[in-house]
Amino acid sequence: MSEPILVAENLTKWFPVKRSVGQVLRGNRTWVRAVDGVSFSIEKGEIFGLVGESGCGKTTTGKLIMKLLEITDGRLYVSGEDVTHVRGRALEKHRRAVQMIFQDPYSSMNPRFTIRDVLMEPLEIHKVGKDMKEREAWVREILNEVKLSPPEEFLVRHPHMLSGGQRQRAATARTLMLNPSVIVADEPVSMIDLSTRAEILHMMRQLQRELGLTYIYVTHDLSTARYFTDRLAVMYLGKIIEMGPSGTVIDRCLHPYTQALIGAVCEPVSGKVNQVKDVPIKGEIPAATNIPPGCRFHPRCLYAIPECWEEVEPKLVDIGGGHMVACRRHEEIERVGAAARTSEASLGIRRATRIS
Amino acid sequence: MKGARFDQLRTFWAEFRRVKSGLVGLALLGVFILIVLLAPWLSPYSQADKRWRDMTYWIDSPRDARPLWVNWFTSRKYTETQTINAASSKETITGSGSSTMRIEEMEFPYQYKAGYPPNDIMIKLGVTGRSSYEVLIVRPDGKQMSYRGSTTIEGAQVVRLSVVETLASRVYAALAPSEDPAFAAQKDPTQIDPMSALFAKAQPGVFTNPVNVPGTYTVKVKLALIGPDAKLDTSQVLVMGGVSGILGTDDGKRDLWSGVVAGTKWALLLGLLTSLISVAVGVIYGVASGYFGGWIDALMNRIYEVFTSIPLLPILIVMSAVFKPSIWIMILVMCVFFWTGPVKTVRSIALQIKENAYIEAARGLGASHGRILFRHLVPQLLPFAFASMALSVPGAIVTESSLSLIGLGDATVVTWGQILRDAFGSGAVLKGVWWWVVPPGLAIAVMGMTFAFIGFAMDTILNPRLKTR
Repeated sequence: MSEPILVAENLTKWFPVKRSVGQVLRGNRTWVRAVDGVSFSIEKGEIFGLVGESGCGKTTTGKLIMKLLEITDGRLYVSGEDVTHVRGRALEKHRRAVQMIFQDPYSSMNPRFTIRDVLMEPLEIHKVGKDMKEREAWVREILNEVKLSPPEEFLVRHPHMLSGGQRQRAATARTLMLNPSVIVADEPVSMIDLSTRAEILHMMRQLQRELGLTYIYVTHDLSTARYFTDRLAVMYLGKIIEMGPSGTVIDRCLHPYTQALIGAVCEPVSGKVNQVKDVPIKGEIPAATNIPPGCRFHPRCLYAIPECWEEVEPKLVDIGGGHMVACRRHEEIERVGAAARTSEASLGIRRATRIS
Repeated sequence: MKGARFDQLRTFWAEFRRVKSGLVGLALLGVFILIVLLAPWLSPYSQADKRWRDMTYWIDSPRDARPLWVNWFTSRKYTETQTINAASSKETITGSGSSTMRIEEMEFPYQYKAGYPPNDIMIKLGVTGRSSYEVLIVRPDGKQMSYRGSTTIEGAQVVRLSVVETLASRVYAALAPSEDPAFAAQKDPTQIDPMSALFAKAQPGVFTNPVNVPGTYTVKVKLALIGPDAKLDTSQVLVMGGVSGILGTDDGKRDLWSGVVAGTKWALLLGLLTSLISVAVGVIYGVASGYFGGWIDALMNRIYEVFTSIPLLPILIVMSAVFKPSIWIMILVMCVFFWTGPVKTVRSIALQIKENAYIEAARGLGASHGRILFRHLVPQLLPFAFASMALSVPGAIVTESSLSLIGLGDATVVTWGQILRDAFGSGAVLKGVWWWVVPPGLAIAVMGMTFAFIGFAMDTILNPRLKTR
């Protein structure tokens, strides 16, 4: 096992909710608990996936790692150094080490800039390179790296003159300009045509191998996550509820929420396309201002028993092989799941009828 | 990079050309700039700008003369201004040594044709040393009036004898016998118009209902130069006409065309400078306020509100009471108040732009706030800034004019507002001296219109909501 390059310990981000004068006087404080104690450790060269529904806090986690947001509580270590509250020089160093690819390649580049301006910007900010010539050479090299060639043709273009895939390549090129060690990729392919997705992911993986990069891949798309990541963490309402090697988490998922997520994936396979699936979940995701007591998933869980809301929240426990799950009934679910797989019966539906 | 900017500029021009009012504004601006550049050639009085308030500079031009072109529209013509040199002169020398005396006799014939008599006749004698002189005005009918005077000091001096100012009583004395005795007895000699009487037929009613007589009016000057060193430098008779120059003259004899031309420079300068500074400050302030948000935004908004709620005029009145009114202080004070103009719009645009992912991306790259403000936000606001700059020029010019009008302007420069103030101060409106009031007023209006047209055209192009296509 190599040294972890990025460690999050109980990472927390609470946003204050705007209050009326009356609430301020009464001393009421409400918080949006966007990220509510997330811990993980990523090794060098690993591709770590963060999946979950919209609003589960996965993008916020990404921004906390980028230090685009102030960390409320917990600690963040990069290459063994505590960067939780760094400022000045140390923050600059962090900015060079950790880069981000944004979800929307249409808005992540200034429309008035040419690709040259976009790629030059990080070099100008960090005063990398002796002169324009050296910087220019570096820009060309990176453009070749992300397969935007010939570079001369792209340097003078504005972002709107590129296709979605080309833009995301350019955005990736920008993150590579400063030789980072960690790249947070926030849904890098979700706004891109399906046909180019695989290409982009392939390029990212190739870069990772060549340059020894570490990715944090934030997505809601389980299928690309399975394809792209080594390890996966599933987030629900600001907490990781299941984590482990991607294959294990997806094929042998134990948390009811992960099961629901996987169940919801559309499979464009003949005979199944027009079939609306029974997703084993109920209700809507609650507001992050009002997190349910006990297990935060219990109101939507089809397996929930009184202990789930009467007792403290279950912790992530290792059930072997690096597979961790935060559910107090995971053993029963595994047993039933194994039975279900053999009998090919739908476990979720059976449980649902029994509960109601 | 340069090519792209140039392309943008070309597209902008292509769109601008389609807005007719914008082109009119641009053409007018061109005219104004030409006027400023060509001022030394356009203005007959080259020092009009510097010596506007120096009455000695204007002494040889007519008072209250109408513009020249007024004669094109009237059946009864006004006399044009002209300079008459001596038609004949005779010199006699008597005595010798220190008692030398030279007597110069000169005649200046003036052909008075018809129409309104001239506003004044001025006999101008440049003399060095001691002398005594006699001036005689001889009318075609033989009536004459004379004036005697002397120069007593050594050195060069210029004697100016104005019929209106110094010879009025002589004109009265010469013509009173012809007037109806009853009227002549009760009429105060200072109340008559000496010029119309001078050129009128000697008959009852010469003072009240003058009938002008065309003919040759001769000014005869007899000058005794006393001493061997005394000499005559110049001698001229100036007929101060009823019309003069492109825009006439005011009651201080100043050429108004020169004043309006000199004022163009100041109007452009103070308009452009004020709008440039105030819009630059306003845009940066608004962008910073929108970009930083939070308590900084709240604080900046309160400061903005304080500035918008202070009334400008009382402050300017106090300022000019405390400081010596100067155009530069006026520009400064206007900037202090006008920068608030674009703030709210710019702030709201900045709020919109800062939500774009590329701002966050720039932060992620480690860009400083200054870099984000000036590299990412401000360039996007430049088109708006130019439009609001053009639109705020008229405000500055009008404010300066209003301040000058109420007497708080910079009296050392010629601005249109200053000319207007002088006009109102001497009751030009009541006296019907329209050529003193209309040109500077019109100039202010046209200058305002110029920038309003340009600003509206830019607004139409840059504001997508106003696009009619």
